[in-house]
Amino acid sequence: HAPPRSERMAVDQDWSSVYPTAAAFKPASVPLPIRMGYPVKRGVPPPKEGNLELIKIPNFLHLTPPAIKKHCAALKDFCTEWPSALDSDEKCEQHFPIEIETVDYVSSGTSIRNPKARVVTLRVKLSNLNLDDHAKKKLIKLVGERYCKDTDMLTITTDRCPLRRQNYDYGIHLLTVLYHESWKTEMWESEKTEEDMEEYIWENSCSQKNALDTLLRIKASENVSNVTKEEILASEVVKNYRNSVIALKNEGETEDNISQYKESVKKLLNIQALP
Amino acid sequence: VSISDEPETLYKRLSLLVKGHDQAVLDSYEYFAVLAAKELGISVEKVHKPPKKIERLTLLKSVHIYKKHRVQYEMRTHYLCLELKYLTSSTAAVYLEYVQRNLPEGVAMEVKKTKIEKIPEHIQEPVWDTLPQVEETEVKS
Repeated sequence: HAPPRSERMAVDQDWSSVYPTAAAFKPASVPLPIRMGYPVKRGVPPPKEGNLELIKIPNFLHLTPPAIKKHCAALKDFCTEWPSALDSDEKCEQHFPIEIETVDYVSSGTSIRNPKARVVTLRVKLSNLNLDDHAKKKLIKLVGERYCKDTDMLTITTDRCPLRRQNYDYGIHLLTVLYHESWKTEMWESEKTEEDMEEYIWENSCSQKNALDTLLRIKASENVSNVTKEEILASEVVKNYRNSVIALKNEGETEDNISQYKESVKKLLNIQALP
Repeated sequence: VSISDEPETLYKRLSLLVKGHDQAVLDSYEYFAVLAAKELGISVEKVHKPPKKIERLTLLKSVHIYKKHRVQYEMRTHYLCLELKYLTSSTAAVYLEYVQRNLPEGVAMEVKKTKIEKIPEHIQEPVWDTLPQVEETEVKS
């Protein structure tokens, strides 16, 4: 029988013409002495002639580095350059604030469709949208769980339409509606109580009234001439107390906050000596 | 090569997750994909391998009785994640088509594209400022 083709191959031949496309492993065309499989007792793995294991496994003989370079050189004409002005994430964020995430699925099977492919996720940073203070608070309340306070990101995930384009349009529509609704002020919004406030405001709160009361009574017992409310509020000690109370309520209780509160109360009531 | 006039969409990040049953196949594929990206001028952010997942089943060995004799099968899924940064839509289309046509048999891929866009015009200013003054209609309870 004729010798295999591998014995007549030159060392510096063009390999991409032997395996131009993905093909099964042909032992007569590959000049490598490969052995694959489980060895017999006290023996070596079986040789490549008639070896089913080598035919079963997908081989990359058609994608050697010179072949890849040739393919890419031909494909390079169809690629476009990334704009050089946008080389960092911050610049992308500044010029293009909205991020849209879509997922594509490739798999082998009877059907190429995948129902998970229609999900679209929109992400925006609220600092990039044109919102004023009231609009921002209203938007956060409307959106609820989809807003992350640490990174200031609003994430909208749409799934309800059957096509990806429809989900994208619905997401943009939701964003538009939220934006416009948050700028509107309804009549019942004026009934916002202290429990609804997101952050603690010291003016007109129980803490301010109590402090004023206490200081007025101290002044009255010392029989000093009547100092007005504005003078008390504008004094240093009261300002310190106000800052420490606001810090405690808004940021939670930390070592620094509590010690600051202690110092301000001591100065307010003129108590020394206690450590 | 024809050049179209519509502005290119920009992809900030392209995340390829490749799943297969054989780690050696995925390693060769990783070499191929990274080399292709370098040749086409795409910056590869990182390449990492999430840990493999093994799904095990325990079934009865015999068709009828013999409950005590079972046989166990397992399915191993190896993962490979490639993250590419800063692609235009034509570059992404070229790279994805090349890479997906040369996907080996029995290997699946998920591509997550993050597109970046400007804020659409209808969100720049609230519309209530520019609408003509409409008389307030009675709100029916």
